[in-house]
Amino acid sequence: MNIVVLIKMVPDTESRLEIIDGKVNESGFKYMVNPYDEFAVEQAVQFKEAVGGKVIIVSLFSNNASIDTDLRKMMAIGADEAIVLRQEGYRGDRPSSNAKILAQTIKELDADLVIGGVQGIDYYQGATGPMIAHMLGIPHVSGVTNLALNGDKITAKRQIEGGLQVIDSTMPVLITCQKDMNKVRFPALKDIMMSKRKSFENREVPLGEGNDIETIDCSLPPARGGGVIIEGETTEEKVDKLIEKLKTEAKVL
Amino acid sequence: MSTVIVVGEVDGNEIKNISQQVAAVASGMGNVVGIVIGNNVSEAAMKLATSKIIIADDERLEHYDPVKFTSVVSQIVKQVSASKVLIGATNMGKDLGPRLAAELEWGYLGDCLEAGNDGFVRPNFAGKILAKSNPNGPVVASIRNNAYPAGESWSGSVENFAGNIPESNLNTSTIENVGAGTVELTEANIVVSGGRGLESSENYDSHIRPLAEAMGAAAGASRAIVDAGWVPHSHQVGQTGKTVTPDLYLAIGISGAIQHLGGMSGSKFIVAINKDAEAPIFKVADYGIVGDLFEIVPVLKSKL
Ligand SMILES: Cc1cc2nc3c(=O)[nH]c(=O)nc-3n(C[C@H](O)[C@H](O)[C@H](O)COP(=O)(O)OP(=O)(O)OC[C@H]3O[C@@H](n4cnc5c(N)ncnc54)[C@H](O)[C@@H]3O)c2cc1C
Ligand SMILES: Nc1ncnc2c1ncn2[C@@H]1O[C@H](COP(=O)(O)O)[C@@H](O)[C@H]1O
Repeated sequence: MNIVVLIKMVPDTESRLEIIDGKVNESGFKYMVNPYDEFAVEQAVQFKEAVGGKVIIVSLFSNNASIDTDLRKMMAIGADEAIVLRQEGYRGDRPSSNAKILAQTIKELDADLVIGGVQGIDYYQGATGPMIAHMLGIPHVSGVTNLALNGDKITAKRQIEGGLQVIDSTMPVLITCQKDMNKVRFPALKDIMMSKRKSFENREVPLGEGNDIETIDCSLPPARGGGVIIEGETTEEKVDKLIEKLKTEAKVL
Repeated sequence: MSTVIVVGEVDGNEIKNISQQVAAVASGMGNVVGIVIGNNVSEAAMKLATSKIIIADDERLEHYDPVKFTSVVSQIVKQVSASKVLIGATNMGKDLGPRLAAELEWGYLGDCLEAGNDGFVRPNFAGKILAKSNPNGPVVASIRNNAYPAGESWSGSVENFAGNIPESNLNTSTIENVGAGTVELTEANIVVSGGRGLESSENYDSHIRPLAEAMGAAAGASRAIVDAGWVPHSHQVGQTGKTVTPDLYLAIGISGAIQHLGGMSGSKFIVAINKDAEAPIFKVADYGIVGDLFEIVPVLKSKL
C-alpha cells in the first residue's frame, strides 16, 4: 500500500502575534508539525506495518531548513521518505494554489491513500485536503476519528453533529484526521538514528496559481477587559450575584 | 444584483438554526437562492428563509457525500448564475465548502465571523488574529454559528432539482449516535467547560454534565482533561479543539492557557470559576468567582 502523508508546518502555538501595517509579523516564528498531521503519520505507519508498503511524507514549505529535524522526527515514527517542496514566498493561507502544487506531486506517487490533518492550526481553513481530493478526482472523508482497512476498502468514522458517520470507501481516497484517531508513538533512539539515513528530498517549486483570496487587513480581536470578580460573604451570595448579572447585564439566562 | 446561494441543512423536520442565520446574512448580499439536499427533506426545506428554494430530495442523497453534494450544488450554481455560495460552518459546511470551491475554481473562506458585500472576516491562529478580505471574484464561504441572528422562514418559490446525481465510491453504512440527547458544542448558546481543577473524570460527570444539562448547554473541556482520558476529544475547546462562540461560556477549574483562550475568547460573555485569583482565565472573564468549584458549582446548579 502506497501512502502519502501531508504535513503542514505551522507557527508554534506560543508564537507572539504582532501586527505591523495590517500584517502579522512572521519574522520571529518558530514552526512545528501541524498537530493533526501527526495522527496521519501514525495511522499511515500502522497500516504499513499491517499490510506492507511505503509511507511518503509530502510537505510544501519555504526554504527555511529549521523544520527538517521536525520532519525527521516524523520519519523516526516510521515514514519511509520525505519530499519537501521548497517555495520561495510560501504562505499557509493559500489553500487553492498550495493544493494544486501538492496534487501535482501526489499524482506521480501512485498513492492508494492520501492522509493529512483536518485543519491547519494556523489559518483554520481545513481546505487543502478536500481541494487536493477534488483535483486528483478521488473521494475524501474529513474529520475522521477512526480508520480501518478492510481488504481493498477503507472504513472511516467521521465526526458529525451528535455522532459519527461511518463511511466505506474504495481506494484511492483522501482522509483528514481528527484528534481521537490514535496515539502517536514516541520513536525509540534507534529509530531516530535510522531516520537520518532515510531519503529526504528537497524540490524547488515555483509560486503556484490558484483562486485564493488575499487578506487585506489583519487586526487583533477587541481586547477583553478583565471583568469583575464577584465578591460576597458566602458562596450562596456570590452565586446569587452572578445569576443576577447574567440575567440583567448579560441577558443570557 | 448578484445571486447568492445558501446551502441549508435539515435536522429532523426543521431547518438548522445556523442555516437560517446564513440565509439572513445572504439576504443582505443579493438575490438569494436556497438549496437543501437530502432524503425526505422537502417539508423542512421549505422553511429555509430564502425567497427561492431548490430542493434535491432523493434517496441517493440520504447521507452527506462530498462528491455528490459538490456536484449538485455546482450544477445549481451554473443554472442560476450565482457568484457566491454561503454555508454554515458545520461539519458538512466545512467539508463541502472547499471541495465545491475547487470544483468551481472559486475562492474559499472558511469559518467566517462576518460576511457581507463590504468584505469577510475570518479568524486566524484560533481567533487570536482577525483577517479581513474583500474578494472581487466569486467565493464560497462557510459562516460560523452565532455570528448573526437567524432569518425567519417565509413562503417563497420552490423548485425540485432536476440535474443529475453522480455515482460515488463513498458509502455511508450507519450513523452512530454517540452524543445523542446532548447539545452540540459548536451550535450551543451556552457552553459549560471543565478543566483539571475537577480532579477526576467522575467529578466531571457529577459536576459539569448536570450543570450543562440544567442550563441547556453543551459540555466542553480543556485539553488537559481530554489528554487524561476523562472525556473524548470531541469535547475539547481550544486551538487544537473546537472554536466556540456561544452567548455564555463558563470555564470551571480551567486556568486559561493561551491555547484554550484561542477557542473561546470570541464568546459573548465569559464566566470563570477558579480558586486561584491569579489564573489567566480571569483576564478574559466578564464575571469571575474566586473559590472552590466543589462548593460553588452545586449551589449554582441548585439555583437555576
Ligand atoms: C500545541 C498545543 C496545543 C494545545 N491545545 C489546547 C487546546 O486546544 N485546548 C486547551 O484547553 N488546551 C490546549 N493546550 C494545553 C494548554 O496549554 C493547557 O495545558 C491546558 O489548557 C490546561 O488545562 P486546564 O486549564 O484544565 O489545567 P490547569 O492548567 O492545570 O488548570 C487547572 C485550574 O484549575 C484550578 N483549580 C484547581 N482546583 C480547583 C478547585 N477545587 N476549584 C476551582 N479551581 C480549581 C487551578 O487553579 C487551575 O487554574 C495545548 C497545548 C499545546 C502545547
Ligand atoms: N503546505 C502544505 N504541505 C503539506 N500539507 C499541507 C499543506 N497545507 C495543508 N496541508 C494538509 O492539509 C491539512 C489542512 O490544512 P489547511 O487546509 O491549511 O487547514 C493539513 O493538516 C495538512 O495535512
